[in-house]
Amino acid sequence: MSGRRIRTLVAKELKEFRSNPAAVLPVVVLVVMCVALPFFVLIVIPRVTGESLATDRTIRGIVAVAARTQPHLALLPPGTAAEAFLFQQFLLLFLVAPIVGAVSLAAYSVVGEKQGRTLEPLLTTPITTAELLIAKVLASFLPSLVVEAAGLVAYVALVAAFGEPGTAPALLSARSIVMVGLVGPLASLAALQMTIAISSRVNDPRSAQQIAVLLVLPLVVLLVGQVAGAFIVTTPILLLISAALAALWLALIVFSAALFQRETILTRWR
Amino acid sequence: MLAASHLVRRFGPRTAVDDVTFEVKAGEVFGLLGPNGAGKTTTLRMLGGLIPPTAGEVLVDGVAIDPTTGPRLRARIGFLTETPGLWEQLTVADNIAVYARLFGMPEVKTAVERSLRRFELWDRRGDRAALLSKGMKQKLALARALVHDPDVVLLDEPTANLDPQTSRDVRDLLIDLRGRGRAIVVSTHNLDEIERVADRVALISTRLVAVGEPSVLRRRIFGRRLTVHLADGNGGASVADLMAVAGRAGAQDVRRDTAGMSMVLDDPDAATPAIVRALVQAGASIRAVFDNQPPLEDVYLRLLDPTTADSPSGCGPDR
Repeated sequence: MSGRRIRTLVAKELKEFRSNPAAVLPVVVLVVMCVALPFFVLIVIPRVTGESLATDRTIRGIVAVAARTQPHLALLPPGTAAEAFLFQQFLLLFLVAPIVGAVSLAAYSVVGEKQGRTLEPLLTTPITTAELLIAKVLASFLPSLVVEAAGLVAYVALVAAFGEPGTAPALLSARSIVMVGLVGPLASLAALQMTIAISSRVNDPRSAQQIAVLLVLPLVVLLVGQVAGAFIVTTPILLLISAALAALWLALIVFSAALFQRETILTRWR
Repeated sequence: MLAASHLVRRFGPRTAVDDVTFEVKAGEVFGLLGPNGAGKTTTLRMLGGLIPPTAGEVLVDGVAIDPTTGPRLRARIGFLTETPGLWEQLTVADNIAVYARLFGMPEVKTAVERSLRRFELWDRRGDRAALLSKGMKQKLALARALVHDPDVVLLDEPTANLDPQTSRDVRDLLIDLRGRGRAIVVSTHNLDEIERVADRVALISTRLVAVGEPSVLRRRIFGRRLTVHLADGNGGASVADLMAVAGRAGAQDVRRDTAGMSMVLDDPDAATPAIVRALVQAGASIRAVFDNQPPLEDVYLRLLDPTTADSPSGCGPDR
């Protein structure tokens, strides 16, 4: 495995993205929505209607359940605790949105090389299949990671500026950090690896995109379940999910390298 | 340096290449000829380690290309693919630089500059590849294939889309590469071009039909035919008499043509002076004597289909 070859190809992909900024637009739009939506629901609407989140009995109940595993919520005033809890849950959007956005980059990655007839010359170099696929994944992952990080900074800054005092510090819990720092990136990597694997076998980037986006479904279930109070995912569970996603990613690297058949790509792609 | 040993490549039930064997030495230009669908590109892809053969093997300096040795051996091969396959959004220089890095060149900037200057693309280094003409794209693809100064050079239709001047530049490049000891395989339909530069050619049509030096193949198919053009007036001797003289002097298959006669000689280098002497003594006024060289195209057509007329261009043996 050559780090230089992987870096070279990643840098090439990033240059191509720079020459075509529209390619990164889906990630940016989705992350902007991740920031704007919770801000609108949790800050703007309560202020316009004059109804505090703490007045909703259902929300109070869910926060009380959550406080059993997150004791710091119990120490906050009810309005702040409700806001902090809900802003935490909306963080899950940051897991879903970058995946959806980056998958569109990745889906086009291999299919685009095939359509542009650039894959055959590339395969004449010493690059191995695993290096090629890892580079493709990283090249889609890095821009989405940067946009996601910028979105997160904006998210916390907006909460600090407009939320109840104490909400922003409550967001920076170990659980949140594991969620956006580990679960999110690993879920992205797994989804991207799956996309790349599929895109090496299909003619149309949309096919790869549609199949890979299925990986988002468990995360959506997690988001809805938490907001509805059906279950609370604790930090240890998030760590377990991270480990599972890391294992899934590694398995997908092996799987995608096996699925990527140079000769099929070269001989059937016309 | 490069050897194809009993290469077979099947795609499902279809056999694209069947039992193809040849060697290309260092400092040799080897032409790969054949009609469309004959397996030339598939053969090149196997030679370049892009696809594995179903049977047989490709060896570079005695080392077989397989999944383990592939990456290392591909670093010694420069492969111009059928289509340029450039990253159109990247600059000309970036297209080369990425490959220089992938091939492990230590001084990427120097390699890029050398390569672009060699193909007269240095002034266009900052332009996006999409802005280049077809010919320039082909030149850029060539520059990319050779950026790492490979020992083995595989070129699939290198002069496709090129104007005559640039085609000539490519021929000069091949001669230069041969002079520097590279083993070069060129797949092409341009028989005139390959005849000018190839030391040997292989004709394939799924199987290897023939391999050898163009002149040897020509001789094998058409023999070595000597043409004698006569001036008006032959000292009273008729052309028929002179043809009989030539026959007695060892010529075979002596035929009359519009300007004189032609004949097949087993060893023209040794026999020609004796034939000419005999004809002159018999009163012939000889205007010109030359080896008849049917074009490689005739050899190609004859080898592919032995029933083909032997001289479509009028340069073959008389009938």
